Amino acid sequence: MATPKECQYCHAELSRDEIGLSKKLFESETKKGKYSCMPCIAAMLEVTQDDLIAKIEEFKRQGCKLFG
Amino acid sequence: MSKKLIYADHAATTPLMPEALEAMLPFMKEEFGNPSSIHSWARKPCEAVCEARATIARCVNADPEEIFFTSGGTEADNWVIKGSEGGMLVSSYEHHAVLNAAASEAGCGRDIVYVRPKVGSGGGYIMPEKLAKAWRDGVGLVSIMTANNEIGTVNPIHLLSDLAHKRGAFFHTDAVQAVGHIPIDVQEMGVDFLSASAHKFNGPKGIGFLFIRKGVKLEPLLNGGQQENGIRAGTENVASIVGMATALKINCERMDENIAHLENLTLRLRDGINRIFPYAVYLGGGGTAQLPGFISVSFPGCTAEGLLHMLDLKGIAVSTGAACDSKNTKISHVLKAVNVTKDIALSTIRITLGAENTIEDVDGIVFALKLLRGKAKLPR
Repeated sequence: MATPKECQYCHAELSRDEIGLSKKLFESETKKGKYSCMPCIAAMLEVTQDDLIAKIEEFKRQGCKLFG
Repeated sequence: MSKKLIYADHAATTPLMPEALEAMLPFMKEEFGNPSSIHSWARKPCEAVCEARATIARCVNADPEEIFFTSGGTEADNWVIKGSEGGMLVSSYEHHAVLNAAASEAGCGRDIVYVRPKVGSGGGYIMPEKLAKAWRDGVGLVSIMTANNEIGTVNPIHLLSDLAHKRGAFFHTDAVQAVGHIPIDVQEMGVDFLSASAHKFNGPKGIGFLFIRKGVKLEPLLNGGQQENGIRAGTENVASIVGMATALKINCERMDENIAHLENLTLRLRDGINRIFPYAVYLGGGGTAQLPGFISVSFPGCTAEGLLHMLDLKGIAVSTGAACDSKNTKISHVLKAVNVTKDIALSTIRITLGAENTIEDVDGIVFALKLLRGKAKLPR
């Protein structure tokens, strides 16, 4: 079984949606194996977690397979 | 506190002008009559369609009987391509409305030749030399867009149409990105056909027009009633036709002012971008041969799609020329045609400003890019 990915900042275990969001937003970072959790992404971009959840729902509606 | 939303994707669509909406409303309510009816309910709608046709004709220096209403730019493009005869010469960076219509014709055995834009520094244009070089016997129609929808370059249409006519072909231009934004004069451009779409110049969606030069024959695309002088069937979309004419008239009246405003905003935006990303690469020519308010810029090392989504999260709408799904990255045919490297293509975003954008909007975009560069570690 693959090792669960963790947030590069707070080391929280990441959900599939957080991994997908990291890939969509920070492709070059994820290529280096660096992922981020929702609270850290929200803090980094100065947006709310609700903004991120809405964005994830938008990706899902568009048929993106990166999300659960 | 709600975040300020900044719309900077005017090449995709534009907001409906309030004056256009106002002009449309009576024809969606009390003046609902069919303009083709022979009773009095037709009178006002019929007069409105007639007046709109005359207004649009004046805006592009055509005769009213040379203007035919369509459902938009796509129908206008399809009509010219499928209603004409002989071989076709089209540029390889046309909108898909032209390219896919041409491909469909190729499937029916029609000869289609593609001409590529000039590449490299100062590239992105279709030059007459390129057109002459690509020429083949039997070409009956040339179709080259007035302005490109991804990089904003404006082609020398009068030179291209002149060449086509000298070689015995008709000339069509998809002017969807240009009408209402830069001066359009079908006489000076020397075109036989010109397509336009209202929602690109603050009119409603689902309406456009095709200019067909008097005396030039075009087979109908849609068969049915005798509307539009018997060559474009279907009950007229009166409210949208009126809205389109109103928006075009006002945009033409304000054109000099709009261009000056957008040039100021563009300069400020480029200056702001250059301060944050000194290695930013701009696609398209710049200056007078570029649509006003149009910036196609690459941030090498960044992923444009990620940047687009981050800007969207900050309330800023822009566009990209490349899109990813979970497995593939697709680079647009335009960026391929102008031969940019994969790194440039994947890091290019399109920022298209409109007349309603302000200095504060531009500063907001620059501020967001600065924040993203710092916090999201975008390459400099």
